[in-house]
Amino acid sequence: MTDVLGIVMFVVGGVLFVLVSLTVGRLFRPRRPGQLKGEIYECGEPTVGKGQVQFDLRFYVVAMLFVIFDVEIALLYPWAQVFRQFPKAAFWDLAFFVGLLLVGYAFAWRYGYLDWTRPRAGGQADDDAQTPEQER
Amino acid sequence: MTALDLQALLPLVLTTATAIAVMIAVTITRRHGLAAWLCAAGLAAAIASIASARECAPRHISDLLVIDSFARFYSGLILAGSLVVAVLSYGYLKLRTDRHEEYYILLPLAAVGSLVIVCSANLLAFLLGLELLSICLFALIAYRRTGRGDLEAAVKYLILAGASSAFAVFGAALIYADRGSLAFGPPGLALSSPVALAGIAALLVGVGFKLALVPFHFWTPDVYQGAPAPIAGFIATVSKGAVFALALRYLSTENLLADGRIIWLLTAIAAASMLAGNLLALRQDNVKRMLAYSSIAHVGYLLIALLASASLGRPAAAIYLTAYFLASLGAFGVVGALSQPTRDADALADYRGLAWRRPFLAFTLTAMLLSLAGLPLTAGFVGKLSLVFSGVSSALWLLLSALVLGSVISIFYYLRLLAALFATPPASEPAISSPNTPWPTTAALLFLTVALLAIGLWPAPLLDLIQKMAVAAW
Amino acid sequence: MTLLYLILIPLLAGLAAWPAARVAPRAARGLCLAASLAQLVIAAILWQNTPTTGQWIETLSLPWIPQLGITFSLFLDGLSLLLILLTGLLGALAVLASWTAIRENVGFFHFNLMATLAGVTGVFLARDLILFYVFWELMLVPLYLLIRIWGGDRRVYAATKFFLFTQAGGLLLLLGILALAITHQRQTGTLTFDYLQLIGTALSPSQGVWLLLAFLAAFAVKLPALGLHPWLPDAHSQAPTAGSVVLAGLVLKAGGYGMLRFLIPLFPQAFPTIAPAAMALAVAGILYGAALAFAQDDLKRLIASSSISHMGFVLLGVFAANELALQGAVVVMIAHGLTTGTLFALAGAIDERLHTHHLDRLGGLWTDMPRMGGVTLFFVLAGLGLPGLAGFVGEFLVLLGAWQTSPVLAALASAGLVLSVVYSLRLMQRVFLGPKVGEETPRDLSAREWLMLSVMAAATIWVGLWPQRVLDASAPAVQNMQKSLSDAAGAPEARP
Repeated sequence: MTDVLGIVMFVVGGVLFVLVSLTVGRLFRPRRPGQLKGEIYECGEPTVGKGQVQFDLRFYVVAMLFVIFDVEIALLYPWAQVFRQFPKAAFWDLAFFVGLLLVGYAFAWRYGYLDWTRPRAGGQADDDAQTPEQER
Repeated sequence: MTALDLQALLPLVLTTATAIAVMIAVTITRRHGLAAWLCAAGLAAAIASIASARECAPRHISDLLVIDSFARFYSGLILAGSLVVAVLSYGYLKLRTDRHEEYYILLPLAAVGSLVIVCSANLLAFLLGLELLSICLFALIAYRRTGRGDLEAAVKYLILAGASSAFAVFGAALIYADRGSLAFGPPGLALSSPVALAGIAALLVGVGFKLALVPFHFWTPDVYQGAPAPIAGFIATVSKGAVFALALRYLSTENLLADGRIIWLLTAIAAASMLAGNLLALRQDNVKRMLAYSSIAHVGYLLIALLASASLGRPAAAIYLTAYFLASLGAFGVVGALSQPTRDADALADYRGLAWRRPFLAFTLTAMLLSLAGLPLTAGFVGKLSLVFSGVSSALWLLLSALVLGSVISIFYYLRLLAALFATPPASEPAISSPNTPWPTTAALLFLTVALLAIGLWPAPLLDLIQKMAVAAW
Repeated sequence: MTLLYLILIPLLAGLAAWPAARVAPRAARGLCLAASLAQLVIAAILWQNTPTTGQWIETLSLPWIPQLGITFSLFLDGLSLLLILLTGLLGALAVLASWTAIRENVGFFHFNLMATLAGVTGVFLARDLILFYVFWELMLVPLYLLIRIWGGDRRVYAATKFFLFTQAGGLLLLLGILALAITHQRQTGTLTFDYLQLIGTALSPSQGVWLLLAFLAAFAVKLPALGLHPWLPDAHSQAPTAGSVVLAGLVLKAGGYGMLRFLIPLFPQAFPTIAPAAMALAVAGILYGAALAFAQDDLKRLIASSSISHMGFVLLGVFAANELALQGAVVVMIAHGLTTGTLFALAGAIDERLHTHHLDRLGGLWTDMPRMGGVTLFFVLAGLGLPGLAGFVGEFLVLLGAWQTSPVLAALASAGLVLSVVYSLRLMQRVFLGPKVGEETPRDLSAREWLMLSVMAAATIWVGLWPQRVLDASAPAVQNMQKSLSDAAGAPEARP
């Protein structure tokens, strides 16, 4: 029963803390809304344009590819640490992993996901990224 | 990692290799037939590797996976189901999108996710498998990208699967917080602590979502309706089968049924699923939605096996799931075979007079529906018989009355479809002129029908297999 | 193996008729007719060779699902034999009655018809309870298709209603069977569904009553008992002629057979608890069915509603449970199969000529079809219980038996006999007498119809005049029921 009590106190305490501090602030702080205060806070820089900008879809593809290949680093570092202990197994493990990535890389290359301005990749229809015709 | 470990892992390895091989092949050349054949051959090889493995002693692979005969049986079921889906998809995709090949990368990967779920001995492995399965399914559901329905279904599935996974992860975290380990068992420990109990409740949300149990079922009809017919079949069978096998393993490893509250919770969920699923299916004019609701009810029935005594419940679950796999895949296969390039044949009107236009498909669908309804001489009867047997012997009268009530209701909507099949053909042109069935689809449907009737007529070999494999203690 | 042939012959004939009809519809019809006659002949030979001792004429047991203790086992006693004879006879009648009426999808029609007959035969022969359930459900699907595809205007509604009612009862039966087998397993350690082994299962009083009710639910739907009957008028009136013949003649008998075969031997202790209520229900059914029949203005619905009344006598006889009443119930089943089956065939013949079976659009047919009028009068009289014909023997025996148990109920039930005269004569009046309606001059009976009707008439007279052969055949079964009842009454209460 004491276990439950602990959880309950934790949850209730958390909720109360937020509620109480917001309420207290609301009671005591002065309220003087102005245009300057309504603006977006951007590290002190003046903002340009609207908040809702449509990103080019290609950024997402590039970002995703970057993340995929970047994750390699996360694996390579611990791999390097233990390489001396199991040289053979570690080598084949990583060779397999990098090989897999290479297949993915080849796939992305083959179908033009690495090109910024894309001709119709490999002559095949590919409507994932916008083709110049579609942009017009 | 010994050679025996590797042999035990062979199904997983082969299925993963299938996905990689298809990817390499696609990188070299885009050919639908090649990708489909590679995928089918790889899955078949994985099935063969299960069948050829002689050793039945459970093998623990690190702390994450355990390969025992229980896992082998369900792995076989999952791989066979995926294989059938792959074959059915070939004819289905051929008429639709212009890019078929990536499909055959995603499908084996989804199967790998399911295999990991079935083999997991650890909540971490379970979550890993769950995510792999879900991520592949998002892409597969939206694969056609033709109408709004597909994208709506995929986004719905994405958001709800994400939410339910979050619950499952939270549950795992609570359990870890309580005992400092994510491994299953030892039995009885979980019930002593409220933190772990809360964790189990959160896990139940994640599992209930994948199984589409009431009250976690709201996504089911929309997703089934929007997904390509073979993928709807995959979600109804493989994905549910894997999670159900895990639930079976987890419940008995942790001995959760020792707790009356959990029994009551599961009983309530099961009864609600049977009744709500069947009642909601009653008024559906959309065949895919109807099958979706009926699948909710079927998993509700399956929970009877979960709650019954292990010695009868486990084989009953295995038999029922096998029968359900056959019938659901067959039903969705027929839906896929009838579909036009632009839309799936999901309106009841598409089926009017089918018996006179396409006798083979109508006969197949009739057999599947009768099996889903549990009529004799189909696999569904053997499944329902063992299920009810396990329920009666554990005296689960409340659930059994829900089953009887639900079954009677279900007869009504199965008969609606059945009656449409045998309607007098209209004098004018049929509502849709569907293309001829490609031979792989015919072969797959024929296989399902023959298996369905064979198990119905002569279930002894399957029961023997199940006694040997799916009941083993762990 | 003879028993297996009895089931396989119609099934294989149906399977063969399906493709055969593509070549020649006549071949399919002939094949099915021959199969039914073969069934009849085999059953007749078995009857001739009935052993003088013991209840069972022949048994058969093959392994089927050993893991669940289910075997493919059949048995045959006099009671089964009588109903198999009826099956063969009515099967032939059904094929002949649809000889010219069915013109579309002839092969599939005959497949469904023969599959239904095979299922009914299986029900009458099954010894393993799960096998019984399998056959019980199995006759449902082809019969559903018969009504769905070849039925009248409201066929979808009627077929669905029929399926739903029967399935609901069937599932309760399945629960009951499993619960009984599990109780037996806990007592003896062996899991079996064999009828002969389950007979001795000791049940606590409440358990016995619940199981009895579960079994009764399925049988009472098929019979049908009052309250569970709404499917019957729809299904019978919408079914094609052959379907109505099989439904009225055989499927209802499956309900009666189930009651005779299972209720008393399996639950002798619980049986007397239920009996008074069931007898009251039976009498209510007799009167209600007769009133319902009187109110119908559709020929087939009228005959169908009269079935509720007649089958009420079966229910009354079973639950009166003395030898006279039980024997009477058996004879009522046979007689009702013969007369009502034939009346449906006649209704089908009228429908084929005039394309209606609505009483308002029929009338004065006697002038054009005197022979058909005469034959119909004969079967109507047989149905209302004219002495010398089949219907009289059974209902009289039931009333005699019921009188011993409850004079009040017997008196009320005999009022049903009077009412049956009223609705039967109304049928004759509206269809064959009175002013002629319509312009057509339908032709009288054809040679094929003469043949089938005279055979049925002969059988009706034979059962009416020499019922002793019938009574002898069912006597061992009935005596065993008496014995188990008296044993149960004498024995101390079963252990709780």
